[in-house]
Amino acid sequence: MIKPESSTRPEAAFVLLILQSMFWAITGISAFPFVLAGEPFMGALGLASLVLALSTFLAATGVLWRRRRSRRVVMVLEVVCLVGSALQLALPIGANHGLVSLMVNVGLPLAVILLLRKPREAFT
Amino acid sequence: MFDISPDHAIGIYAGLIALAVALVVVRLRPDRKSVPGTVLGASVLLAVSGAIHLGLIATHLNETLTAALFLVNGTGYLILSQMFTWRWWRPATAALLVATLIGYLVWIVIGLDSPDQVAVATKLLELTALGLVLIPTRREAGRPHRTLRWSALGVAVPVLTLVTTATVWGVDLARPDALHAHAGALIQQTNDVATRDQATAAAKLYSDTAAAIAPYQDWHNAWAAGYRPGGAPNMPSTHWMNQHNVDAGYVLDPSHPQGLVYANSKHGPVLLGAMFQMTRIGQFGPDPGGPLTPWHQHENICITPLGGFEFSLMTPLATCPLGSIDITAAPMLHVWIVNNPSGGRFAIDIDSSVVKKIDQA
Repeated sequence: MIKPESSTRPEAAFVLLILQSMFWAITGISAFPFVLAGEPFMGALGLASLVLALSTFLAATGVLWRRRRSRRVVMVLEVVCLVGSALQLALPIGANHGLVSLMVNVGLPLAVILLLRKPREAFT
Repeated sequence: MFDISPDHAIGIYAGLIALAVALVVVRLRPDRKSVPGTVLGASVLLAVSGAIHLGLIATHLNETLTAALFLVNGTGYLILSQMFTWRWWRPATAALLVATLIGYLVWIVIGLDSPDQVAVATKLLELTALGLVLIPTRREAGRPHRTLRWSALGVAVPVLTLVTTATVWGVDLARPDALHAHAGALIQQTNDVATRDQATAAAKLYSDTAAAIAPYQDWHNAWAAGYRPGGAPNMPSTHWMNQHNVDAGYVLDPSHPQGLVYANSKHGPVLLGAMFQMTRIGQFGPDPGGPLTPWHQHENICITPLGGFEFSLMTPLATCPLGSIDITAAPMLHVWIVNNPSGGRFAIDIDSSVVKKIDQA
């Protein structure tokens, strides 16, 4: 299953994905107080964010184990995140363009994509 | 929290310069091939964090203890960023990172600093560095203590991420700066004390608006005039918006307020007041009453079309729940025609006890 290799890119990607997973989890939890304030759909979105956090964690584990399918899933996820962030930043809707937003919504997905861009080195 | 403090801005420049220098230095180190790439990554992040801390000393010279801690932190990070072949590098670096993260949280909780973009970004760099320091890699030489490091990674990074975010958010909500009110609303800058003319103008705006919206005490009239409720119907109050008035771009016209606010009482909608809104983000309207009638703009709101536009607040990590997007609502000004003891006639919010009393009446 695992080819002998010396690259630690999957480990670095794993760390970033764990952080991203935590970010999604915190975001999911943050939606629940609004359910108590009378917004039931925010609960559904919070739950969806928690599911995404769990999925990201599982995919991160797969990346750590050098699973090619996990790498593909992560690449798709990060590209979707990047496209969504680019749209949000480009549209005149007053989205946050701050340092943290750029790091979390652009820098982090981009870093994961760059770390995992050469699959043949390590993934089977 | 979503702004950059003027005295922290220098940290960004220091960090960017350090990033470029650290990338070159790491490449020039002959022993770089003896350590995993994750260690080199952590070395670069430590150098960036160290430079940010050192950069902040210049703007914190009047805060002796803070400046001294910046010096210790920054120097420690820079030294450790170059000592990655040292036997005790991992425990020493992890200890300094954890101590710095916890120390910062204590600092903002006791009010010695307030969180801003530079601080939160630096904490994210430190959390990433901590993960890279702890994570075991394959074919590591010596005794890598894999089980211990996996356990530390599995506990420290998630817990510190959660605690850091929750603390930053809690502090920001509990102690907003002078230009921010509830839930991150940015308030228009005005003079401090209202002049006599401003007080007169505010009173006129109130009486004109109260008279103009009086017919809408009966919500059927509001409906006939084109006002429609938005948002969840089970909230204590609801904004009814008139799209024609929004599109027409009336500016502070008491006869054509863009919105009305109704309490959702057991007996049906009860009119609480009017809402004027500008058409463009960042464009505050005319402020006849000065500090009595400041406009406000809601920033960093996560909104979803589900449930008639439900919303939540963006996290300090600049993320919104899946299925919602981050927006800013154009500046608005409320005029409350019911008694609003906590904030007055032009307050950002209506007192929740007022709405409760109306509901129980």
